Amino acid sequence: MLDFDWNLLLEIDWVEIGEATLDTLTMLGVSMLFTVLAGLPLGVLLFISAPGQLRARPRLYAVLSFLVNVLRSLPFVILLIVLMPFTLLLVGTSIGVAGAIVPLVVGAVPFFARLVENVLREVDRGVIEASQSMGARLPHIVFKVLLPESLPGLVGAATVTAVALVGYTAMSGVIGGGGLGDLAIRYGYQRFQTEIMIVTVVLLLALVQGLQSAGDSLVRRCRFD
Amino acid sequence: MIEVQSISKHYQHGGKTIAALDNVSLQIASGEIYGIIGRSGAGKSTLIRCLNLLERPDSGHVSLHGDDITRLDERALQQRRQRIGMVFQHFNLLRSRTVAANVRFPLELAGGQSPAQMDARVDELLALVGLKDHKHKRPSQLSGGQKQRVGIARALANHPDLLLCDEATSALDPETTDAILALLADINRQLGLTIVLITHDMRVIRQLCDSVAVLDHGRVVEQGEVLDVFLAPQHAVTQSLLAETGMGQGALQGIWRQRVATPVIKLTFVGEPTLQPVLDKVGREVGLRVNLLSGTLSEIKDTPFGQLLAGVVASDVDVSALPAIFAREGVRCEVL
Repeated sequence: MLDFDWNLLLEIDWVEIGEATLDTLTMLGVSMLFTVLAGLPLGVLLFISAPGQLRARPRLYAVLSFLVNVLRSLPFVILLIVLMPFTLLLVGTSIGVAGAIVPLVVGAVPFFARLVENVLREVDRGVIEASQSMGARLPHIVFKVLLPESLPGLVGAATVTAVALVGYTAMSGVIGGGGLGDLAIRYGYQRFQTEIMIVTVVLLLALVQGLQSAGDSLVRRCRFD
Repeated sequence: MIEVQSISKHYQHGGKTIAALDNVSLQIASGEIYGIIGRSGAGKSTLIRCLNLLERPDSGHVSLHGDDITRLDERALQQRRQRIGMVFQHFNLLRSRTVAANVRFPLELAGGQSPAQMDARVDELLALVGLKDHKHKRPSQLSGGQKQRVGIARALANHPDLLLCDEATSALDPETTDAILALLADINRQLGLTIVLITHDMRVIRQLCDSVAVLDHGRVVEQGEVLDVFLAPQHAVTQSLLAETGMGQGALQGIWRQRVATPVIKLTFVGEPTLQPVLDKVGREVGLRVNLLSGTLSEIKDTPFGQLLAGVVASDVDVSALPAIFAREGVRCEVL
């Protein structure tokens, strides 16, 4: 690193960096959207079906919880490969940005759902009991109590998930998913182009920092005091 | 009329079955304030939750105005609950909502009202509890007493025919407690609303309640009108609860009987005689001279009462004749 020729930075193909950045943002944005759409209901279901909760279904909870654990314990690189046939079936291709989004969602949903479950557990039991005493039905409790009361925690959980997804997108190069991480591995690591490595790392760092501070400021804004 | 018919509730704990409620029966008249008192673990929290079936008893029935709510299906029970208000020790307000939106919440649940109607009802309720100016604040910006006022406004939103108070003042300081109790008494008078409350504090019972049940280890050990229970507590638990608040005399009687050689009489004044110089009058009539040992003068709800313990130093008549003489003045006299 010490004898790094900084002039190399001038020779970087910025168009390729730009495309890779766009790929990363696309994968992140689309997979985050589907992760929230699928993970939030799954998290709510985990919460209400847990033993002793609003609609305790211990068997269902055990099955869901086991599936979530299985998916969370698989390394993402493995998940990428294992899911290829499924991805092909679902989106018509198992490679490229589109091919990467399915495994990204499958990898992130259980993670996010578990975070959601934990956030919902923090909702004061007394408040839930109070709503029951007022005759609230389950949908009322979910939409008028659980979700609004835990909004700051949910935004925090989404932020953590988005940051984790940035990490996952770096591995999508394995199936030709593209993106900044892929660029860093192909040029920076495999072709010893340190300058590309530096630029992509800086961009990924900026992305993660940006996500985190955006998330933090959202959490602050929707806090209740 | 609220009727609790021999309800029992058991919990499994560490392989053992614990009776939270053991064959409890209560009759609560419409429009009265009914207090349930007991130490922690006596089962009062379970009992009050059986009145709106937040806890379902293992056996027994609960009827509200003739309707057995233990027979209702879930949907019907949810609808019935909309007209049973409940106020909690820790207020249990929604942090995500403003004061007004918290009071509006039960109206939203009940449905069937336009937004304008709901807003009008919210304003009415906030005026009733004296929180008009705090409408747009969040619960986190309110004091404990103000939070409980929001809780009370919320509980009254759907015109309930029963209000349950779960240790409603236990998290408040004494001054705020008095203000909240006064508000509850006011609501009871203005709306004729039946209130059932649980507490561990005899002062709450004294200030607010018409009737009281004493709960111990899941059983009702004493019940009746507050005045009767206070003036002549029968059960040891009642006596010790009274003694803790400085209102019992059981222990005191024992001490005086050992130390005072003269006969000791206990005089009980209720209502009007409390305010009259009865002891002085009787003293002059029958040459009674006493040595006052202890005395209390207080109020139960709105009735003044007093109790005096006195050693009889001299008397023209026999001590055993005194009860009849005091009875003429409306004062109960017991020779101890």
